[in-house]
Amino acid sequence: MASNDQADDVATYAASVRAALSNLPTDQSEVLLEDLEDHLREIAADAGGPLNERLGPPQQYAEDLRAAYGAAQVTTRRQDAALHDLQRALARVTGSTWYRQIRAFLPELRPAWWVLRAYLAVLILMAAVSPGYPLGPIPDPTSKRGLVEILATGIAIWLSVRIGRRSRQLSQKALVLAYSANLLIALFAVVVLANMRSFAYSELTGTTSPQQTTFANAFAAGQVTNIYPYSQDGKPLTNVLLYDQDGRPIMVDKSEAQTSYPIGADGKAVTNAYPLTQRHLTGDPVVAPRVALPPWPSPSPSASPNPSPSPSPSH
Amino acid sequence: MNQAEVDPTQLLKGVLDLAVLAVLAEADSYGYDVVRRLRENGLDHVGDASVYGTLRRLYQAGALNSYVVPSDEGPHRKYYGLNNRGRKALDQSAQTWVSLSKALNHLLNGRSNGHGK
Repeated sequence: MASNDQADDVATYAASVRAALSNLPTDQSEVLLEDLEDHLREIAADAGGPLNERLGPPQQYAEDLRAAYGAAQVTTRRQDAALHDLQRALARVTGSTWYRQIRAFLPELRPAWWVLRAYLAVLILMAAVSPGYPLGPIPDPTSKRGLVEILATGIAIWLSVRIGRRSRQLSQKALVLAYSANLLIALFAVVVLANMRSFAYSELTGTTSPQQTTFANAFAAGQVTNIYPYSQDGKPLTNVLLYDQDGRPIMVDKSEAQTSYPIGADGKAVTNAYPLTQRHLTGDPVVAPRVALPPWPSPSPSASPNPSPSPSPSH
Repeated sequence: MNQAEVDPTQLLKGVLDLAVLAVLAEADSYGYDVVRRLRENGLDHVGDASVYGTLRRLYQAGALNSYVVPSDEGPHRKYYGLNNRGRKALDQSAQTWVSLSKALNHLLNGRSNGHGK
């Protein structure tokens, strides 16, 4: 294990040095770097501690190498101070232990990304094929579409893992293509995932069109699913049309019971005629609740029938 | 940059070729061993990259020959040794160094003597 780490350390360090010297002419860099790895391995084997700590950042090492080799005058363009500072700062970051630890850990996440990208790709595909469909994070296995989605995800994961495991053998061109595809999936996934959240949100709250008002906010006690109007003398009224202050028909919250609206002469449903005719899911009609009618202060004279005295007890 | 003090690594750079040639004249050696021996001889500030780069340049210039020795515990070692050209370069550089250091010592001694009086 330790020798493995050491080999990784040497490989990473050597790669950084080579990268920093990439602007040397190849014939020069070949001679200079011919057995760099062997040399670094020798140092690594001699005593503990990562090469970064023992030799300093690889960029600095490369710079010293170049200077000692005498290639500096021939090939390097003089860098301005700001760029040099930036490179040094970068070298400090890439040379730090935590950066190296993260770098070392990332490859282990590769298979996770293979699975994730397959899942995301199917999600993107589904969103593209049927834009209106409310997309959930987990496909609904009871629907036909959900089954298709699950199946497609399975196939996509299999394909993605296959591609991922073969990525080492890919040509330079194919690699560029693969990287671009990964990037595209990640980008589109952000869009699709952002939309998915709003789908879920609307499912939770229910949608209200601007022409309708529900009583949901007006009554703290609970949902209003029907309205039973009574006349002053306590008779239940039917087909009372209700409108709000702006003249919009008033709609109650959707109840679990099935509501059938009367159809107007224009063929449109009249949705604000109360009480609504509702049936429970069992088929029984929804019965009007018992109400306690308020006692009115002064009954109107015409409403109360005058007990007229009997004309005459003649018979 | 205007530095009043002389950076030891800067001073060393000018004579690193000579130092490396001198170490190899003692015995053939591989890169890391050259670094170690230079440090053992008191050149603490010598950088690994500088030595390695110098070795490669001297080799490329034809002053050194090199051969690979298999090693039991680690990687194969590339040993460097002086060839005729290298020995000649060492002799010339050594003469230059001796006269240079003589002159410099004289200068420095004169300064400290003058200071003392």
